[in-house]
Amino acid sequence: MEKAPVFFITGGVRSGKSTFAEKTAHELARAHTGTLLYYLACGRGQDEEMQQRIELHQQSRQNSVVPWQSGEFPRDIDNSIPFYNKQTIVLLDCLTTWLDNELFSIDSELSKRRLQNVFDKMMGSIETIRKHCFSLIVVSNEVLLEPLSSSEIVRAYQKTIGRLHQELVARSHQAYLVESGIPLMMKGSK
Amino acid sequence: MHFVTGGAYNGKRKWVRSLHEHTQWLSAYYDYPLPLRSNDFLEKKIVLEGIEMWIKNDVESSDGSNIRANWKTYIQTWHDWEQEQGDRRIIIIGTDISKGIVPMNKLDRTWRDVTGWVYQDLTVLSNRVDIIWYGLNQQLK
Repeated sequence: MEKAPVFFITGGVRSGKSTFAEKTAHELARAHTGTLLYYLACGRGQDEEMQQRIELHQQSRQNSVVPWQSGEFPRDIDNSIPFYNKQTIVLLDCLTTWLDNELFSIDSELSKRRLQNVFDKMMGSIETIRKHCFSLIVVSNEVLLEPLSSSEIVRAYQKTIGRLHQELVARSHQAYLVESGIPLMMKGSK
Repeated sequence: MHFVTGGAYNGKRKWVRSLHEHTQWLSAYYDYPLPLRSNDFLEKKIVLEGIEMWIKNDVESSDGSNIRANWKTYIQTWHDWEQEQGDRRIIIIGTDISKGIVPMNKLDRTWRDVTGWVYQDLTVLSNRVDIIWYGLNQQLK
């Protein structure tokens, strides 16, 4: 089955990456008549501030010309497949939260094997979703520009997110780094 | 001299391996001591990996005041060795540790400062500088 192209978008906290991801989705929808938009949220509104951030993003999508469908999948995100089809542009927000949920929702030691399994599972889910949608936009965070943590758990997270980013960039059609609202195209052409 | 930087786990090593063949790797990540002189260089292409960790050692063992000056000397030594023969090449890999929250600990702040200064001095003497972003390179010089 043909796989949907991947658009990888990353940036620092409050860099405007989610806004740019939504814009990218809208541009794709405008360019391809008949496409639909699906927002795949990996975050859970665990505290009030997180809930407010989610609502802010929800509002911005409600005001959009093309309507969005959305769903929350903290883990096992390929369970979202029944909710869209080959005409859907899927926006996954975001990879860092998803990895967080996959790694830390089960209380199990972070062995090399476990990390490899999580990595394989996540890349597997992405590839499965690509077979069932029109385009896949993946949002993530820049979190590797400081010294490695002294905590082994955090280092395991850092290593895995780095591997996922490398793999996604390698498979992506376009990759962007968003700096203060300005998207820098790192891979692909407009 | 070729300076390669970028965030942790961004594929710097893999990228350097694909670009430069027949290299001798001296890695701070595997506890290789900082090669102060060129006696350790057995091949024509030398990769010095993880220099931020050697800088960290220096920061931990002194007050931090002379480290930048010392490093200027090391860099010059490596550069001179390279210039002696046309087919020699020094490739230096340093992880970018400059964009997190200001560390609480004074030593960590000094480490971060000195590393940034050394990277600036390195780019001056390097004829090529690349930043690696998840396996992709952006040539800055």
